[in-house]
Amino acid sequence: MMLRYENVSYTYPATNTGVFDISLEIGRGELLAIIGASGCGKSTVLKLLAGFMKPDAGRVLIDGQDVSDRLPETRQLGIVFQSYALFPHMRLWENVAYPLKVRGVNRSERRARAAAMLARVGMADRADDHPAMLSGGQQQRVALARALVYEPRGLLLDEPLSALDAALRLEMRDEILRVQRAAGIATLLVTHDQEEALSIADKVAVMRNGRLLQVGTPRELYETPVNAEVAGFVGQSNLWPGQVAGDGRVTTAFGALACDTGGHQVGSSVTVFVRPERIVPYSEESGAANGPFTGAVMADRYLGPIRRIDLAIGDSLIRLETHLREAVTSITIPPDAVRLLPAH
Amino acid sequence: MPFITIAYLIFLAAPVLLLALGSFGESWSNTLLPTGFTGRWFAEIASDPSFRRAFGTSLEIVALTCALNVLIGLPLAYAIQAGARGGLRIAARLVTFLPVAVPELVLAFGFILVFSSDALPWLGSFWLLAAGHLVLTLPYTVTALLADMDQLDLEAFENAAATLGASFAARFCDITLPLLGTSLLSTTLTVAALSIGEFQLSNLVSGFLSRTYPVVLLQAFYGATGFACAATIVLLSLATIASLTSSLTALAAGAGKTTA
Repeated sequence: MMLRYENVSYTYPATNTGVFDISLEIGRGELLAIIGASGCGKSTVLKLLAGFMKPDAGRVLIDGQDVSDRLPETRQLGIVFQSYALFPHMRLWENVAYPLKVRGVNRSERRARAAAMLARVGMADRADDHPAMLSGGQQQRVALARALVYEPRGLLLDEPLSALDAALRLEMRDEILRVQRAAGIATLLVTHDQEEALSIADKVAVMRNGRLLQVGTPRELYETPVNAEVAGFVGQSNLWPGQVAGDGRVTTAFGALACDTGGHQVGSSVTVFVRPERIVPYSEESGAANGPFTGAVMADRYLGPIRRIDLAIGDSLIRLETHLREAVTSITIPPDAVRLLPAH
Repeated sequence: MPFITIAYLIFLAAPVLLLALGSFGESWSNTLLPTGFTGRWFAEIASDPSFRRAFGTSLEIVALTCALNVLIGLPLAYAIQAGARGGLRIAARLVTFLPVAVPELVLAFGFILVFSSDALPWLGSFWLLAAGHLVLTLPYTVTALLADMDQLDLEAFENAAATLGASFAARFCDITLPLLGTSLLSTTLTVAALSIGEFQLSNLVSGFLSRTYPVVLLQAFYGATGFACAATIVLLSLATIASLTSSLTALAAGAGKTTA
């Protein structure tokens, strides 16, 4: 079970928007999430795999088989739609059994397999209800059961959690991951919620304007983003313009920072990238490899376990996160927290 | 406000009530209300060969118009819904809706011009009349079905069914028809009501042997008042049954949607 895009491009008729040169691979049991702002093309990528659109260039492969020209009904994929799309005139077990019905499975076996699948998503006791009687989370479970009952070659999730409220979203996130792991199925998740993607995906692809910016593990994306766009989209970040100086330092508007400048020419412009939680409030014992820098507190947000503070130093803004409860006006930035990205 | 509503209803219903009274009246001339009571006007209509034939023709035309509306209107609405985007969609809707905007008289003249030629000498035939009724009623079918398809978000269900492996035929039988069933029934009954009462086009296009009931009804007004009233009441009853059942199914469909 493997899903694969090879240099796939699609342009919407009479526009210049679409997706361009997409190459992705999702292995057996792997969960790949595509994230990006709305309109970035992530849903188009899903539709190309589902078969609702055909690529203008490149190939879409399922288990090594080119399916670019195949109709959706022949692709053997399970899809959970944003609206769930449960058939309102069918009972839950009939909904789940529908893929079996069109495959010619007899009624008693259909019923049994649908019941088993409903049990796997915790909906066994509702088999004879109609979809209208269910809450959003319950419909979500049934949609997942229906998408997996015929052992498809891949699972596609299109913003599956966006219609649920926050608490239920966390619960269903774990539920989807549990069912996906149990089925050991290659899964493509499309979402605008980067936290959702980072928490359940094996690999995350960041898209912008129809192109892939970076594909990597959540950790790679968070710690070593390839550019300022990825850094800015995934989590909180400080992104300052800077210039590489000769002595293993980079100069910024608020001062020079010691860091690893390997691979960058002296004098070249860069974007200096530091995650807020890597910035340390200055104290005697912490010392100061870089700084200390002292500024005025512009914002101090209490977020429960941490505070997110914006310090202004001249025209620069430094965002940091700390679990300290005391006032913070001086900070230091450890050299290994600083990464240099290409200039904007 | 209730007073105005009641007055309006009386204004609407008065002619019908007077017709009903007249149809059972022995004679009605120069009096406010008819005198005497008789059922003979209905008996006369029932035994009149031209009325009997027209009644039969009307039922046949209605049945055929409804059937053709389903057979042509459903695929047409489906094609517009599934295939047409942007400008094409607007154009398709405009063309289907045009017969409503064009006066029936104009349409009938068009039929007369085209189908009285030697190449297409079909004026006065039963089938041409049915075709005329189809042209007049199809806009209602297509518009109603398109609106319901949008409201039901039929496309989402069909896409879901397709990804689950359902062929076009399976999707049509398992998803489209059941979901559109009530809508289709309600639309068909509306078409029946329209077709039963249609006069302008039928009067100009129908032949002597293919006259529909409303066309023959016109003749009744040259005879006795009671006979005319009774003949009208027959038509009115048919139209009322069609309209009522249509409204009721539409209501049932609406109720179904809100609970779903």
